[in-house]
Amino acid sequence: MAHENHANTLPADLSAPAFVNGWKTRALAIGLVFSIIAAALAVADKSIDHVLRAWLLGLMLTFGFSVGGLALLMVQYCTGGKWGLLLRRPLEAMSRTLPLVFVYWLVIAFSLKKLYLWAAVTDVDAALKSGWINEVQAHAIEFKRPMLNPEAFILVSLFCFAVWAFYTWRLNSLGLQRDAASPETTPRWIKQFENISGPGVVIYALTMTAAVIYWVMSLDPTWYSSVYGLLFLVGQGYLVLALGIIVSISLSKAEPFKTLLRQTEQHDLGKFTFAFVMLNIYLAFSQFLIIWSGNLPEEIPWYLDRIRGNWGIIITLDFIFHWLIPFTLLLSRDLKRNKKRLILVCQWMVFAKAFDLFWLIEPNFKDAARNLHFSWGILEYAAVPAAMTAFWVAFFCTRLQTRPLVQTNDPHVAEILEPEHANA
Amino acid sequence: MPAREGTYGLLAEFDTPSDLVRAARQARQDGWRRLDCYTPYPVEEAAEAIGFHRNKVPLLTLIGGLMGLAAMFSLETWVSVLAYPLNIGGRPTYSWPAFIVPAYEWTILFAGLSAAFGMLALNRLPTLYHPLFNAPNFRNGATTDKFFLCLEALDPKFDLVETKNYLTSFQPVSVVEVEY
Repeated sequence: MAHENHANTLPADLSAPAFVNGWKTRALAIGLVFSIIAAALAVADKSIDHVLRAWLLGLMLTFGFSVGGLALLMVQYCTGGKWGLLLRRPLEAMSRTLPLVFVYWLVIAFSLKKLYLWAAVTDVDAALKSGWINEVQAHAIEFKRPMLNPEAFILVSLFCFAVWAFYTWRLNSLGLQRDAASPETTPRWIKQFENISGPGVVIYALTMTAAVIYWVMSLDPTWYSSVYGLLFLVGQGYLVLALGIIVSISLSKAEPFKTLLRQTEQHDLGKFTFAFVMLNIYLAFSQFLIIWSGNLPEEIPWYLDRIRGNWGIIITLDFIFHWLIPFTLLLSRDLKRNKKRLILVCQWMVFAKAFDLFWLIEPNFKDAARNLHFSWGILEYAAVPAAMTAFWVAFFCTRLQTRPLVQTNDPHVAEILEPEHANA
Repeated sequence: MPAREGTYGLLAEFDTPSDLVRAARQARQDGWRRLDCYTPYPVEEAAEAIGFHRNKVPLLTLIGGLMGLAAMFSLETWVSVLAYPLNIGGRPTYSWPAFIVPAYEWTILFAGLSAAFGMLALNRLPTLYHPLFNAPNFRNGATTDKFFLCLEALDPKFDLVETKNYLTSFQPVSVVEVEY
């Protein structure tokens, strides 16, 4: 009987390939260019209102990459699977970009009055009399004052950041200790990571819901939706998986990912992303269907603000960009197994998510609700998030370079090195 | 149709999927076209090794899904707009958001059924008789832990003695002749 060992060998050098430095320089250059464009647009628009709104979009996007990465890291520690081993170090690197996201958040925290109606209106009666706000808004702002006030905003956000920082620190430091430990300790490590990550996912869902309610939903103080946190949670899965595929395919031009990224796992990640595309539209549509069916004056204006006055074009495009295109393309098995095409779809998905955030954020403001119109400021939605994301990518690259790209103390390492038919 | 007689093919038995895949790949490379692999679980590389070609199941699934979508959406439109136009909360009779969920369910249902029955039809299943089950080692091993390569007599390269020697060169556990 012919029994040969067909397994690949783990490359000796597991550190990030040299071209990651190139990514970093390119990202910094792009970030700089878009910063200059953003500044020029602010001058042309003679206001920084749109810079701040676009900043919020950039924050939500990079927050999705960073803290969403932490969430997926915890999920894969609970579920196991070779796709998880593949993404583990990139996800760790995403989670360690939290300081940058915190800096981005500080800008929002210092400009609450410019963004949030509930922060800007200190005297509700006067604001109502002057016609600044209507009765519904006056009632909502007064009624929600215990929750929607600057102190609560800052405290809740700081608490959330502390929780995320704790999990980031814990998982990242243990990740290194695990690699240094001897192989017989592996079962204990697997258990320990599960025990941290399981409750971590639940706590993450709660803190993330609180954060998005304060940061985005409260832009319109009159409206509420109980699925809002989940919508962002699934959106982060969508975003982080797309980014994870982009990173792992880009890294696969050189070792160690050249050996590690097998077609099987790439296909699995594609299928996983497809599931999130579906779940994303499922939640977004069910929120719409419930509010549409109810047709209540407390809820429906939120959608009318986002449909009437030419916003119908944006919501239609959003549906096409965000669901129809990735859904129809990811149906194809060949595409999921093709590196070049899959990476294009994933890049498109990151753009589509940003487009969706634009539709969520901009109509909250009085000048834009039910009135999509051109101003120099609206272009900030392209420039500011592009700059912020580019700087985030540069920071992410430095995080990626600090560690070997694979965790070696894991039984999946042997499995991922096997030829694909052995466990297909 | 009269019953076929004679040799169906030669069946080689392997212990591991890797051995099977290597033998199948070589046989395909040597010009064999009427050949098939039998494994207890899906081994994608074995399918690739014998020149797996596309089948029509994805197309059937797509057509089925689109038919389900069109059927349910038209049914709902017909019921609400033409047959029984009711005023529900002042909404227009053609309220498409409400039609989406059932139309979606029918898309899934029709696509699923088309995939399952299309696969069976294209596989020519259920088949009540297959000559390979005449081989005792196939009966006992094909669904548990053995991997088989069958070179079929319909292939022009087939020759009972030469082919048997050829298969033996892959060092299988056994090579048996299978009758119709």
